[in-house]
Amino acid sequence: MSIPILIATRDVVEYLRDGRLLWTGALILALLATALAVGWQRQTEARAERVAAAKLDYDDWLQQPERHPHDAAHQGMHVFKPEPALSIVEPGLIPYTGSTLWLQAHRQSEVKFRPANDATGLQRFGTLSAAWILQMLVPLLVIVLGFNALAGERERGTLRQVLSLGVSPRQLLWGKALAIAMSVALVLLPAVVLAVISVLAAVEDGSRLDAALRLGWMGLAYALYLGIFICLVLAVSARAGSSRTALIGLLALWVAMSVVAPRLVADLSRSVYPSASRSEFNKKLDAELNVEYQRAWNEQVGEGTAFGTDVPLSQWGIGLKVHDHAGYAVMDRHFNALWESYSNQQAMQEWIGFLVPIITVRAFSMGITGTDFSQHRAFSTAAEHHRRLMQDIISQDLVEHADGHGESHFEYLAERSLWATVPPFAYEAPKAMEAARQNFRSLLILAAGLVLAVSLMLAATPRRVVA
Amino acid sequence: MGSQTSLLREVVRHEARVLVADRSLLLAGLFLALLIGYALYNGLTDTRARDLAIAEVLQQDDQRIENTIAQLRRVMAGQELPDPFANPADASSVGRSMGARHTAMLSAPLAPIAFGQSDMLPGYYMVSVRSKVNFMYDSEIENPWNLFSGRFDLAFVLTYLLPLLILSVSYNLLAAEREQGTLRMLLSQPLGLPTLVFGKIAVRAGALRGIALIVPVAGWLLTRPETRAADQLVMLLIWAALVIAYGLFWFALSGLVNSLGKSSALNALILIGCWIVLVLVVPLALNLLVSAVSPAPSRTELATQTRIIASDSYTRNQDLLRTEYYHVGKPESLLPKDGRFEVPARLKAFFLMARQMDAEIQAALDRFDEQLAKQQRLVNRYGFASPAILMHEGMTVLAGTGVSRYQHFQEQVQAFHGQWREYFEPRIIEGIAITEADFETMPQWTWKEQDPGVVRSDALLRTFHMVIAAVLLTILCIGKLRRYPVV
Repeated sequence: MSIPILIATRDVVEYLRDGRLLWTGALILALLATALAVGWQRQTEARAERVAAAKLDYDDWLQQPERHPHDAAHQGMHVFKPEPALSIVEPGLIPYTGSTLWLQAHRQSEVKFRPANDATGLQRFGTLSAAWILQMLVPLLVIVLGFNALAGERERGTLRQVLSLGVSPRQLLWGKALAIAMSVALVLLPAVVLAVISVLAAVEDGSRLDAALRLGWMGLAYALYLGIFICLVLAVSARAGSSRTALIGLLALWVAMSVVAPRLVADLSRSVYPSASRSEFNKKLDAELNVEYQRAWNEQVGEGTAFGTDVPLSQWGIGLKVHDHAGYAVMDRHFNALWESYSNQQAMQEWIGFLVPIITVRAFSMGITGTDFSQHRAFSTAAEHHRRLMQDIISQDLVEHADGHGESHFEYLAERSLWATVPPFAYEAPKAMEAARQNFRSLLILAAGLVLAVSLMLAATPRRVVA
Repeated sequence: MGSQTSLLREVVRHEARVLVADRSLLLAGLFLALLIGYALYNGLTDTRARDLAIAEVLQQDDQRIENTIAQLRRVMAGQELPDPFANPADASSVGRSMGARHTAMLSAPLAPIAFGQSDMLPGYYMVSVRSKVNFMYDSEIENPWNLFSGRFDLAFVLTYLLPLLILSVSYNLLAAEREQGTLRMLLSQPLGLPTLVFGKIAVRAGALRGIALIVPVAGWLLTRPETRAADQLVMLLIWAALVIAYGLFWFALSGLVNSLGKSSALNALILIGCWIVLVLVVPLALNLLVSAVSPAPSRTELATQTRIIASDSYTRNQDLLRTEYYHVGKPESLLPKDGRFEVPARLKAFFLMARQMDAEIQAALDRFDEQLAKQQRLVNRYGFASPAILMHEGMTVLAGTGVSRYQHFQEQVQAFHGQWREYFEPRIIEGIAITEADFETMPQWTWKEQDPGVVRSDALLRTFHMVIAAVLLTILCIGKLRRYPVV
């Protein structure tokens, strides 16, 4: 057996014996099991409910009686964001992004019904999920296991002994790192098995491989993340004057990284890339829409006011089409600017995550799961496309049928067959590899963070000659 | 007893001197002041931005209504022909947008304490004769990632970080003395161990809590004149009591752990473990529990229900909907005659449909409010499971950014929506033209503040819970100190 492995096994036995691993491990495992059970229940419920609601809504759309098409568009349809399988493990931004969108005539709408709006202020403390435990609590386990790995040996005088046996300081360090890694793996193993089983059981047959791939990527990201912590802990333990100093320093570091930094960094990114408030957003959008509507009506209908007094009813179909199309570009511009500010804010935070890895691992974890903002945005965009498709089909029908009716525009009722020409909304989230590609930057940042942490650890290697 | 008091004074004086010399308390205090200063700045600027946004929205309303009245005058004087869908004489146009106003909730004087729900729930709604489903589901727009991360407000600093600073200056009160061998020397004097611990804690507690109280209070009194009113000073006192009680709890916990006689490293571990459980884990667990016991009804089902009601009302109002707009080619039909104005049939249909929607969806909407209120009651009842919950909830209540005040606001908005619709209903249905005088008699929104008595007792109850916990810990601590292994 090589020396690092020898050291590692000895240390793991030591951890088991002194109760540290047992107590903290059992606590974390119990929390993980609870979180997974709750995640499973929430995910399966949400998924079933949304599939059913989407079908109901579209069926009702198809079964509309003969009706004026614009009335049908005003009633519109509801579309629902599919619930990703891995949200069992990582609910990500689900509490803060809605999942229901009402597609209606005239205006792009926001995704409504954030679950957090229906919850008490406690929600703002966070969501108990497996991912949260991995991000927040497992690093603490690493600290508890490793704070005296070297400092303790030095205090007891065993460091000198071990080194005098011909073990190189590097080998000792790697052995210690391995010991912590093995212990953490020991604690997490049952939870990982549970998570894999529940995720694979929650998906349909066709997407098992996709879910497995996502889990694999996720595992890699968390391995990098915890690796960073192991190296940091050992670096501090090697250099600290005493194990007490090491412990206090590491706890302070953990608090700064996990509790304080995310909020500070969010503030910072907000001040660098300001995003509009609701009142600003609506004010600017309305103003620009009005200008654009007026211009389009002037140029294409020959009348400055939308549906003004001089527009004959025989031109309302074409007018509606002109009106809608005039708004599309404006809405795209405004929504994209808003969403871009969000993406920029997040990207900036991920870069800072080089030093505060919890931010980056969060971003990757949400991204690979499909519970992040970019996939929310992709859904919103797809839904808006569907809305425009519905609008265009309807205005075209009005141009073809109602405009010919002359002055009796609203007498016109569309045949029921028109409804079926609007297809059901189908949104497919990016596949695992695509999601990994989109979030590759975060993975690289994490890898770079690990390289930095390893170098710090190696730089802190205790000298062979201990005076 | 008298000798212990003078000894206590001696201990305090000595500790203060030592702590000033070794700078650790000074550093912790400065750090705390810095954190609080930043949180205060955040709270103040954001509250101001929110207030400004509301003021602007209200001012836009004034402007729009002024324009509507001016246009009505021109129309009545025959100088202008109105737009068919923006006709100042048409009750449906005026009730729907031209005369509609925003309802707004003003931020409370102590709002900068905690962001609470203010970055998610709207502080204003545009109320019109349209259905609630068109405006009651609005929410603030904010980067969900930032909502997830949370805000750096005073509630955060005091709930999360103040305990850590308290623990950092107190985890080795006795262990360090024992490890250095000075404890034995100290206790060879006629000095009780509880007196020693109490003295040590008093110095630290005085410094940290002093900063936690003085900095924010000075900040608010200087920058927010509304906090200087007598009733708000009472609120400030309650807030101070809350902070003191919370600090007391953590010092008492630290005293208890110190009294166990473990090494200072183990003390640190136990205390951080307590902090993690009480501040990080229990609130999440209670949140989970509360939403499991009283889950919010399904918003997905609500969407389906909305669709079914809308479908039905389109069918019911088909005849009105099929009626043409008469104005086309007949501009005189856009002008009121003898105080009458026949609202176009389709617009009348929209009004009736909105009314039907609201009548039929109300029960479902009420269920959401009920469930949320029930969740809040559970949080209030079981909040004592963690002082962090008591502290955080107490501060959001005082800041007026918690769930209960938002629900109070939404109830008023819904009531106002009812009045607004009632006002316009006869005018739309019977075809009565809007006159200039009507703008004076239309329902006016006035925000009614939550009962301050309820807010006060709510915050005081939480303070009381924390004090009880602190006292229990102190009693335990004194008991343990009697058997403390000095050697």
